[in-house]
Amino acid sequence: MKNFTYFRPTTPEQAVALLENRWGNTELLAGGTDLHDLQKEYVAQPARVVSLSGVNALAGIRVEEKSVRIGAGAKLADIANHAELKRLFPSLTDAADQIGGPQIRNMGTLGGNLCQRNRCWYFRDEHTNCLLKTGQRCFALDGENKYHAIFSQGHRCVIVNPSTLAPALIALGASAVVQGPNGRRTIELGRFFRAPGANNEREHVLEANDMVVEVTIPRSNLANASYEVRHKQAYDWPLVQAAVSFERGDGGVRNPRVVLGHVAPTPHVAEAAARSITGQAVSEATAGAAGRAAAQDAKPLSQNGYKVKLVEVAVKRALIIAAGQKRYWEV
Amino acid sequence: MAQVFQVIGTRPIRHDGLDKVTGRAQYGADIQLSGMLHGRVLRSSHAHARIKSIDASAALKVPGVEAVATAADLPESGDRIAHLGEGAVNLRHLSSNCLARGKVHYKGQAVAALAATNPHIAEEALALIKVDYEPLPPVMDVREAMKDSAPKLHADVFTEEMGQLKKDKPSNVAKHFQFKLGDVHKGFAQAAVTVEREFHTATVHQGYIEPHNATAMFNPDGNVTIWCSTQGAFTVRAQVSELLQIPVSRIKVVPLEIGGGFGGKIRVYLEPVAAVLSKKTGKPVKILMDRAAVFEGTGPTPGSYIRVKLGADKTGKLVAGEAYLAYEAGAFPGSPIGPGAMCIFACYDIPNVLIDGFDVCVNKPATAAYRAPGATNAAFASETVVDEICRQLKIDPLEFRLKNGAKEGTRRADGPIYPRIGMIETVEAAKKHPHYVAPLAPGSSPFPRGRGVASGFWFNIGLKSSVTASVNNDGTVSLVEGSTDIGGTRVSVAMQLAEALGIRAEDVRPVVADTDSVGYTDVTGGSRVTYATGWAAYEAAQDIKWQMLEKAAQLWKTDLDNVVYDKGVIRAKDDPAKKITFKELAEKIQHKGGIVVGRATVDPPWPGGAFATHIVDVEVDPDTGKVSILRYTAVQDCGKAIHPSYVEGQIQGGAVQGIGWALNEEYAYNAKGEMTNASFLDYRMPTSLDLPMIDAVIVEVPDPKHPYGVRGVGEVPIVPPPAAIANAIYAAVGVRMNELPMSPGRVVKALAAKK
Ligand SMILES: Cc1cc2nc3c(=O)[nH]c(=O)nc-3n(C[C@H](O)[C@H](O)[C@H](O)COP(=O)(O)OP(=O)(O)OC[C@H]3O[C@@H](n4cnc5c(N)ncnc54)[C@H](O)[C@@H]3O)c2cc1C
Repeated sequence: MKNFTYFRPTTPEQAVALLENRWGNTELLAGGTDLHDLQKEYVAQPARVVSLSGVNALAGIRVEEKSVRIGAGAKLADIANHAELKRLFPSLTDAADQIGGPQIRNMGTLGGNLCQRNRCWYFRDEHTNCLLKTGQRCFALDGENKYHAIFSQGHRCVIVNPSTLAPALIALGASAVVQGPNGRRTIELGRFFRAPGANNEREHVLEANDMVVEVTIPRSNLANASYEVRHKQAYDWPLVQAAVSFERGDGGVRNPRVVLGHVAPTPHVAEAAARSITGQAVSEATAGAAGRAAAQDAKPLSQNGYKVKLVEVAVKRALIIAAGQKRYWEV
Repeated sequence: MAQVFQVIGTRPIRHDGLDKVTGRAQYGADIQLSGMLHGRVLRSSHAHARIKSIDASAALKVPGVEAVATAADLPESGDRIAHLGEGAVNLRHLSSNCLARGKVHYKGQAVAALAATNPHIAEEALALIKVDYEPLPPVMDVREAMKDSAPKLHADVFTEEMGQLKKDKPSNVAKHFQFKLGDVHKGFAQAAVTVEREFHTATVHQGYIEPHNATAMFNPDGNVTIWCSTQGAFTVRAQVSELLQIPVSRIKVVPLEIGGGFGGKIRVYLEPVAAVLSKKTGKPVKILMDRAAVFEGTGPTPGSYIRVKLGADKTGKLVAGEAYLAYEAGAFPGSPIGPGAMCIFACYDIPNVLIDGFDVCVNKPATAAYRAPGATNAAFASETVVDEICRQLKIDPLEFRLKNGAKEGTRRADGPIYPRIGMIETVEAAKKHPHYVAPLAPGSSPFPRGRGVASGFWFNIGLKSSVTASVNNDGTVSLVEGSTDIGGTRVSVAMQLAEALGIRAEDVRPVVADTDSVGYTDVTGGSRVTYATGWAAYEAAQDIKWQMLEKAAQLWKTDLDNVVYDKGVIRAKDDPAKKITFKELAEKIQHKGGIVVGRATVDPPWPGGAFATHIVDVEVDPDTGKVSILRYTAVQDCGKAIHPSYVEGQIQGGAVQGIGWALNEEYAYNAKGEMTNASFLDYRMPTSLDLPMIDAVIVEVPDPKHPYGVRGVGEVPIVPPPAAIANAIYAAVGVRMNELPMSPGRVVKALAAKK
């Protein structure tokens, strides 16, 4: 790890003032479960690190009348274990509960989860200078791409966005409150992520001197669920994730949102799947059809064709869980 | 008649347990010496390249950096072959694996090292060492490497073809050999069914939790002390002696506690480098590896290509077997192809056999031993083909093994005739086990389920062990041994001494000593410690007994013939009133009679070998291809389970590693020959959440030679799992998986191809 100067401000305003308007030289530090790894691998080499550990205002989960507000500093474990959140937004708490292992969940934060860097093997290799560093090309396009994007169309870099909280939050209509040098603004999480495609771009739309302060989720009675297809039961990433939400009505599903994780450089909104299930009662047949619709435009790379099938499965199972039906894949 | 034991077969608390669970045990990373420097190793960023130059001048200018070492600091080792406790090693290759000379043969190979006053300076300065490489094309796959057109790793490696060195042109194929028994053509002609299949297995790592480490202190008088994590202090001593050209008597190796080895901590990596840096600086130097260095820079077990053909007559009797095994040696010759080829049909009595083995260099780390080295790859292939034959002939797979299983008198294809072994007994026990008796409940799950079985063999070895045992005046015995304790062997060795003396296991204090403090002892490997070091402890107990009898005879002023030793009590034959316990006598001799120290050194014959039969039930999610293990039973002949808990621990641990190998683990390489998943996050070892409790079933067919019938248990449990699971997957969904790992992506693909 390269040596750095450590700052420990106590307010978001102070923290933002310590940042710079370009990426790389100064990094925000929350739980450090991602940043320190990147530093140890020399992928991140900040000269200045601004710790958020002294910013008390970032902690806390508040369930209010109209919305739920989760501080950017809330720990993943606190989100996973929050009784009220579990009742309202099981998609979010289930996703949080499956991240890494207890140590990661006890240190990792919501803000860090949304802003964490991608897990592409080329990006994470100190010696590979890919498009997201200062290189000219994405090596995964024609290289090792088993875990990369299957909605790869039009992307110069085919990472998948790593956050599994993001699809759940997007399906729930959440927004991020962002502190910048000129004050605060709100960004819908559906617009928070972007596909990086050039040197030094990040996986989100924040400026280098912005920070996430909190995430707000409108309170609702949306049925919601997240389903992850995983290889291992712990210390692993999903191969594919689907988060869904919808209103329950007499005429079947209303206003559904289907958001996929680990299939594209950003959380991927599957509109065709949403159309497919709208107005239907959730059943293995209708959920399966929605799953097929979700996968329909996929354009897998050389090694990740298997993921297309997993999208179908994840969407189908997420819908069935959200509808409170029997999980046919469990005894 | 079965022996009756007081200590053996019980489950006393291990002597090192408290220190380990309270974090007091000393591991290599805990070592702190005054004035100690911290070393770091620079590793190759290329899979295959010529080293044109190494320029360390900028690194040496960094304040706090005290020395840099490269291959130039190691004496040139000729092409000498040395036996260093892990089979034969070419010293030039071993040296180049510690610090590359001239060329690098895999990404992660050590190229240079430096020592600095703290680890951060060392790390920063390391980046300033400039290595000028001329990259060469790598070859990563065993069959590619065998082609004439493949890039050659070594200008001086030639094929040893059936014992003859073919010096005409260099080759990546370091060795081709054959084992022959009977006449396979005639054999296959008698077959009613013949099945021939091809298999691929991925490179996998032992995955020990503790990374390699070494601290060395070179004294001005030319003596060097090395603290390290190793399976064999004496093999470290021998290797360092050869590599640095120092006599063994000037090297003291202190083995610290070891956080797993599984075969991977026999060869040296850091020890000679730390010693060189210490010599240059005059200060102790400590080097620790990180996880990426462990994956990329230390020996995994080979990937392989295997073809197996088996024939059986219509009664289900095996009549012929043919196998072709090509194993990736990695950067230097020396894969476990020999044992792999010996094990591939070792569970069966087959009259006609032809086995071809190939040892092939590829641009991956030089492979090292891993629990039953070579046998798991082989069994995956042969036990899958056996399963196909059983299905074609509609014979229960355990019935088939009863009919064909190896027994005393069976000749293995590579020559040896089995002494008393327990293959059949493991199959019988498996057949009777509630797991096998109970039908696999259909309909209890929405997804297809299947059951598979497979058997496995591993030799187990004897080799040399020494112990000393001093009787203390409180009636306890201090036992000094040279076998590093990986799986609870302090207690299993101590128990054999206690049994022989008729005292409690708790009254023995076992210590694992450094190379100056105990007689020569071979590695903790080959499932040998409880067998051989335990045997030495038994012999040391006999030595103590005789000495105690002499002391009693002196005390009672009677003849040695007139005193007997009986379960910890010494009696006079002619006078029932004359008796004294071990403890009382120990107290007495402190004041009068003299101290008793027992000693023994053994080099026993090899045990008869270990067999295992495993049963597994799996469930396959046909949508995702994910295979879940529902129930797992591992039956194994252990000879005699000295401490059943540690025997069960070995069986469970081995089975779990086999399951990881079967379903998850692999070295993923990109086109440049770089490992892309060198972390525990991306290299998927199973965790407790991925596994059911493994039911370990101990079968005891005592080894007739060993005083207590021990056979050794550590290795064979890793052998059957991949095949058993592949067979279970077939039973569940009707596809034959012929490539490891059987990951979800592969299973889904195979299912799609079946449709
Ligand atoms: C074994 C393992 C398994 C994992 N599995 C999963 C998984 O399944 N799903 C998943 O979603 N994640 C997973 N993760 C990632 C984990 O969720 C993240 O590492 C964690 O959420 C990061 O939070 P942190 O507070 O530690 O962030 P840090 O490491 O401190 O920061 C991460 C990044 O976010 C930036 N940052 C932090 N806080 C803010 C803020 N308030 N505003 C703006 N930028 C900020 C930092 O500058 C840095 O670039 C896994 C990680 C590991 C190690």
